[in-house]
Amino acid sequence: MSAPINNTTSILTQTVAKLLLLPTFVAAFAILVKGYAQPGDGFSAGVVASLGVLLQYLVLGRREAERLVTVRNAPTIAGAGLLLSLSVAVVPLFLGDPVLTHYPRPGEDVVYLGTLELITPVLFDLGIFFLVFGFAVGAIGAFARTISEQEEYAGPGTEQLEDDT
Amino acid sequence: MTPPATLMVLLPLVLALLAAPAAMLAGVYRPRLAAPVGTAFAALAFSATALAWWKGGGAVNVAWAPTWDLRFHVALDGLAALYALLATGVGFLVLVYSSRYLPLHLGHGDRPESEGTRFYGHMLLFMGAMVGLAMAQDLVLLFLFWDLTAIASYYLIAFDRHDAEARAAALMALLVTGVTAVLLLIGALILYSAYGTFSVPELAELVEPGPLLNAAGLLIAVAALAKSAQVPLHFWLPRAMAAPTPVSAYLHSAAMVAAGVLLLGRVYPLLQESRILLDTLLVVGLLSMAVGGVLALTQDVLKQLLAYSTISQYGYVVFLYGLGGEYGAVGAAFYVIAHALAKCALFLTAGAVTEETGEDRLSELGGLRKPLPLLAAASGAASAGLAALPLTIGFFKDELLFGAALARGPLFAGAAVLGAALTLAYAWRFWAGIFLGERRDGASNPPAALVWPVVALGGLVLLGGLWVEPFARLAEAAGEVIYDAPASIEPAYHLDLRPENLMALATFVLGALLIFSRPVWVGAARGVAWVGGKVGPERLYESSIEGLNRFSDRIHRAEVRDLRSRVAAILLPAGVLVGLGILVTPTDGVYRAGEVGWHDVPLLLALVAVTLATLASTLTRRHVTLALVFSSAGYVLAALYAFLGAPDVALVAVLIETLVTLLFIATLKLIPYKVLHRQAELPLRLTRRKVYISVVAGAFAFAVAWGTLSQPAAESSTAEELIALAPEAHAKDVVTVILADFRGLDTLGEITVVALVLLGVVTLLRGGRLR
Repeated sequence: MSAPINNTTSILTQTVAKLLLLPTFVAAFAILVKGYAQPGDGFSAGVVASLGVLLQYLVLGRREAERLVTVRNAPTIAGAGLLLSLSVAVVPLFLGDPVLTHYPRPGEDVVYLGTLELITPVLFDLGIFFLVFGFAVGAIGAFARTISEQEEYAGPGTEQLEDDT
Repeated sequence: MTPPATLMVLLPLVLALLAAPAAMLAGVYRPRLAAPVGTAFAALAFSATALAWWKGGGAVNVAWAPTWDLRFHVALDGLAALYALLATGVGFLVLVYSSRYLPLHLGHGDRPESEGTRFYGHMLLFMGAMVGLAMAQDLVLLFLFWDLTAIASYYLIAFDRHDAEARAAALMALLVTGVTAVLLLIGALILYSAYGTFSVPELAELVEPGPLLNAAGLLIAVAALAKSAQVPLHFWLPRAMAAPTPVSAYLHSAAMVAAGVLLLGRVYPLLQESRILLDTLLVVGLLSMAVGGVLALTQDVLKQLLAYSTISQYGYVVFLYGLGGEYGAVGAAFYVIAHALAKCALFLTAGAVTEETGEDRLSELGGLRKPLPLLAAASGAASAGLAALPLTIGFFKDELLFGAALARGPLFAGAAVLGAALTLAYAWRFWAGIFLGERRDGASNPPAALVWPVVALGGLVLLGGLWVEPFARLAEAAGEVIYDAPASIEPAYHLDLRPENLMALATFVLGALLIFSRPVWVGAARGVAWVGGKVGPERLYESSIEGLNRFSDRIHRAEVRDLRSRVAAILLPAGVLVGLGILVTPTDGVYRAGEVGWHDVPLLLALVAVTLATLASTLTRRHVTLALVFSSAGYVLAALYAFLGAPDVALVAVLIETLVTLLFIATLKLIPYKVLHRQAELPLRLTRRKVYISVVAGAFAFAVAWGTLSQPAAESSTAEELIALAPEAHAKDVVTVILADFRGLDTLGEITVVALVLLGVVTLLRGGRLR
């Protein structure tokens, strides 16, 4: 924990971490869209996607990780997700149905797009996905920034010294 | 209703609500554009309101949340037209004034021009909310616009956000008007539970006098009176003077404070069924007239004087409502028009004078009639209007007041005369203090935009004095809505000795006496102000806020200081209670161990691993190791779920365990290494207390878990039901469908908590900053 991690990681690790980011997002997307047919839902998908970003933090360090657009706007993404889920919940009110009525209604026909069913619960799940992703990345990002500010304040290397004594 | 007519009614509201986003967008593009765009929208909204009103008004009534009986019911009736015209018309003039005032104001604080965009956005949001509030006929819709005005006012009062005083004032205004707004909602719900509708016109036909109406009416009235800064909830208004002057002008004449009397007018058909409610209004109105009037005479700061004057002036309106009857209702409406024009002009005068001379105290000002002749004349007309001199619109407002008070009795007539005399005295003090006397300071050639809005308003005050017809008709139409019956008034000059004229004369004489005998009573008035400051309701507000803060600090300290005892305090009683529960429950056949076969070996191994990890946690000293030991226990549990055929849960468990471990380690990194190191070096002491607590808590948790798992799953019908329902909800995976559909509301609550936690974590770590 004491030494800055990104100095000790090899080029190979760094390259693999970079390469893994996109596949992680794809996997997260798969978990999300297949949620209604197989295990997985917006929550799991959000955590998987955020773990992909957190890997960048661990391996490449804060500065490199914060280059990603998604990292800089994590709290916004979380807010947007909450707004999306809330909208799905509230919109039925305007149509004369109870809160959180999903469409199409039970028994009605559903349009399929592969395994993805075009139904409003999927939108709700998408909101959860964004929220969870935004939460995990935003919280870890805030920790990382505070830690690196502390290190800058204390000056580099001080922790290492204390560790040795 | 035909579509064009619907459009006609909705157009003012739509224009007023679009104004804020339009000005904000324009401001993002070019900061200079925010003011003209906003002003143009205000002018358009005013024209649309006037046109729709001239065409006869109308109503739109559609359900927007039918399951909850909520309707989007807006109407452009007389009352709505009056307040919407005031909000947009006065808003237009104030925005013209701001376009010149705000750059100067921002210039004093070396703030960028782009901050003006925020100002116009909130100002226009306020205007939109006021128009909506004026037109809303449904109590819940009213409540929504009501809170919107509170939010807009919060941002506007705290516009100088670097100033702690302004922030405290904004919070006070928000708390006083926001907390009482909840009373409005409760009142609405009470009425709904009794009569099954939120619609004010429908309620007006249904309500009967009685304790229910008294309670609901009182709750709504308290909300309205707090907004109108009536005694004893008046203290926020003078504090709110921390806002920039155009905001004060708008707040006092056509928006925030006017909203209170607007609400009273809207629900008046209900209130007037109850004698007690009207008498309450009467008392509150009289008190506010007296307190506001006397305190206004003691103030030295221009805007403070005007603030107390507003309290007293709206006291008149409330008094008129309390008097009731045709004259009371129409008089209240007319009074609001006359006061809005005059008060807005006076505030803008104060702002222009302070901007020109740099002084905001009467004792530092004087003799400005020479350098600022036009401003002096215009604000003279406005002061005369406030003081109800003939040839101004104000004369008729007092004529109606006297008429209504006379109809009630001589005592009330006397109170009205006294109140009007106080008004005359402070109006004179304001105007004469600035413009008469010897010249103190050099002021030259103020910008046109700071003078012409005042001239326009002063001109309207005079116009109303010469040709009262249009104002009287508007007030009459509003009065009919308030009174809920046909009403007609004929304000005019009568050159005879009718009682109203005699009362007006008495007012002038008394007012003059008050002005000339100032040295005699000023000490006493200051004494009243001092006592009010010491024991008044503002003290109560401040001590309750301080008390809340102290309470919260204490709870926080108790929770944080000794975490270990806190945890023990939860675990030990929980364990004991559960134990007692087990003792009194029949335990026959509850504890069973099933058969163990070869295929259960992986499961058993996993359980052993969890046990080992748990035991290891008691022997670990280094914090990072501890976090890893915990997470390994979690991973094995996740594997257990997978064995038991719950892939969804297993997946989530693995992911959560990973995330929590990362967060754990990140938190540990925040703690100075020295501290962690010292803690890790401490020997592990098995104190008896720790052992007892752990054993008690663990043993009972184990007993409960075992007992629960021993039960055959006969009563798990809910789960089976949900599984059976899943295909109907278009799903094959029951866990997901439970989360997103069957138990969607729970999920909604949970994700809201997650969002709040993120907000808390980020703000705590960033020391109050979000970025």
